[in-house]
Amino acid sequence: MNINKSLEKNRKKIIDQWFEATIKSYPPETARVLGRIKNRFDNPVGSATQESLENVFDQLLKDLDPGKLEDALDPVIRIRAVQKFTASDAVGFVFELKEIVKNILENAPGEDFDRKVDQVALAAFNRFMKCRESIFLIKATESKKRIHRAFERAGLVTELKDEDLL
Amino acid sequence: MSDELKPDELLDKVDHSPASGSWMDTTVQIRPGIFSYAAKPESLETLSAPNPRQWNPLDDDWKLPENWQEIIHNGIKERLEKFRTFKIFMDVCVRCGACADKCHFFLGTGDPLNMPVLRAELLRSVYRNDFTTAGKILSKIPGGEKLGGGRPMTVEVLKQWWYYFFQCTECRRCSVFCPYGIDTAEITIMGRELLNLLGLNIDWIATPVSNCYQTGNHLGIQPHAFKDMLDFFTEDIEEITGVNVEPQFNVKGADILFITPSGDVFADPGTYTCQGYMILFKYLKDKYDLNVTWSTYASEGGNFGFFTSHETMKRLNAKMYAEAKRLGVKWILGGECGHMWRVINQYMDTMNGPADFLEEPVNPITGTKFENAKSTKMVHITEFTADLIKHGKLELDKSRNSNRVMTFHDSCNPARGMGLLDEPRYCIQNVCDNFFEMPENTIREQTFCCGSGAGLNAGENIELRMAGALPRANAVKYVHDKFGVNTLGTICAIDRAALSTLCEYWVPEVEVYGVHELVGNALILPGEKKRETDLRMEPLPGMEDDDE
Ligand code: SF4
Ligand code: SF4
Repeated sequence: MNINKSLEKNRKKIIDQWFEATIKSYPPETARVLGRIKNRFDNPVGSATQESLENVFDQLLKDLDPGKLEDALDPVIRIRAVQKFTASDAVGFVFELKEIVKNILENAPGEDFDRKVDQVALAAFNRFMKCRESIFLIKATESKKRIHRAFERAGLVTELKDEDLL
Repeated sequence: MSDELKPDELLDKVDHSPASGSWMDTTVQIRPGIFSYAAKPESLETLSAPNPRQWNPLDDDWKLPENWQEIIHNGIKERLEKFRTFKIFMDVCVRCGACADKCHFFLGTGDPLNMPVLRAELLRSVYRNDFTTAGKILSKIPGGEKLGGGRPMTVEVLKQWWYYFFQCTECRRCSVFCPYGIDTAEITIMGRELLNLLGLNIDWIATPVSNCYQTGNHLGIQPHAFKDMLDFFTEDIEEITGVNVEPQFNVKGADILFITPSGDVFADPGTYTCQGYMILFKYLKDKYDLNVTWSTYASEGGNFGFFTSHETMKRLNAKMYAEAKRLGVKWILGGECGHMWRVINQYMDTMNGPADFLEEPVNPITGTKFENAKSTKMVHITEFTADLIKHGKLELDKSRNSNRVMTFHDSCNPARGMGLLDEPRYCIQNVCDNFFEMPENTIREQTFCCGSGAGLNAGENIELRMAGALPRANAVKYVHDKFGVNTLGTICAIDRAALSTLCEYWVPEVEVYGVHELVGNALILPGEKKRETDLRMEPLPGMEDDDE
């Protein structure tokens, strides 16, 4: 059976285990909540994680498109970028997939698959950096945008150029 | 959900597994991005608050007074006697865990100490140790403290308090799910009040409080600048509508005193909401000869004292009444603010009331009695406007908002603190055709906080704010994806700022509007010219090509 077919056949099992491995990066009390609650509004982290893993998995069955891959990773990475993770912990869950797939599939998935997972990890890292940059930008410009802009429109302070906001 | 959460399991797991880092093991890691900067000594001095000094939460030494443990012990004792709720909340929690997964900070940060039950345990454990018989006995046996869930007050415990009581926005969502009605927000309020006895406030609260105490508003803007801003809005509105809506200030004998958070006057996008109020008041003046005055003295509706201590809240709140009395108005109309309404609805009357020099509020145009404001004498503007709309007193052109696909965020305080749920929706639906609710477990009484309330809307704690905002953002994103929602309406000044940032990170396609900005766009002023832009000076729907 070709690798994609066996991946597809084991889709649910792989994603379930991958999800479990991913939420293990949280403290155990938290992981229990993330794994248990099904309503996506009561459990945004659990559901975004699930959604991202499913979409990334489906990308893996095709030729990888870096843009689409990053989009698929966005929900989970955007969250992890504001949580208590180092960069490597934030994207580390991607690598778990190698081990999980190896254990589930009867035939070893091969180097090609490993390389694909590496590409996913790189895309995750890219997206993580973008999210961090956007956090820093927001942090640097927020109060100036909200308060200074109002004063500036009123002519009470001198006008700011966009570069002054940084 | 919560019924599956076997809390004893949960808490046992947390309590008795030191290997995985039990919460009782009190070493707290204070992390940049999560905490807010310490209060500046000058700001504490203004209010003669205890222990003003330079200190840094990341330092080992927090420069506490020598007898700080005694101060805390006595502080708890005094408050147990004074506030019955505090005593009850300390005693009755059965650790059922129903609240555990209801806090946006827990859901967003994944930090178990942000579970409301554990947040409360931070203080409750000390209470048990110091004030209950079982706790006192157990504390004498080695290891006994943990058995009874008690622990002595140490510097590490104090640091944990500080870190986690400033990771609670006092939003009360948890209390909605507690079978005993325990309001963890009130426990946070007590916790912060105790911390303030040692000079442990954050600057984003202490400095606005100090400003408000000295100049009448959180930003410390002087009366002339306050007037300058409204004059400037007047010019903008004249450019858009052709009508001069010049407001009046400090007018004795006016019918109504209007007070709004200063964020509406000084911070975008609240400024557009402010212009909406001005248009409304001009309309009511021309059509019905209603006389509304602004005050440059009571130039702040918000009350960051509420996030400091009961005493500070009272001092800041008093100026509203003092000004209403000085001006001799009939009653007070309040703008779109969040925590201001909790202060008014729950505390004002007992704190600074009764305001028997004011009249029981009646809408002079419709004759409606605002029964719920009978004793506070202060009416919420969306209630006032909804009443005018209901009686057909406003001429509105909805089409001017037809490019807005709306949803509405219930701000925690008006929703859970005073039950104001339908009036803002009624206003929105009468000035705009496209309205979609977010899912029911994220709105009305169950609304998710913006993650920046209770004085946490600082810059340095942006990661905490964005994580705490996730559950709200998640629902906004859902209606954006599903219905094409592009506008998040709200009736709170903190929200107008905080939700804008939240959207910037989580759902950049969505903009934040105050309800009265939409009212201002739709309201047809007597004698106005054909409007081409909205209050943001963006082309009105259908006018996009007129420049070309
Ligand atoms: S009041 Fe709000 S922020 Fe505080 S613990 Fe409860 S849910 Fe969390
Ligand atoms: S605060 Fe209420 S809901 Fe939470 S654990 Fe205690 S009793 Fe249960």
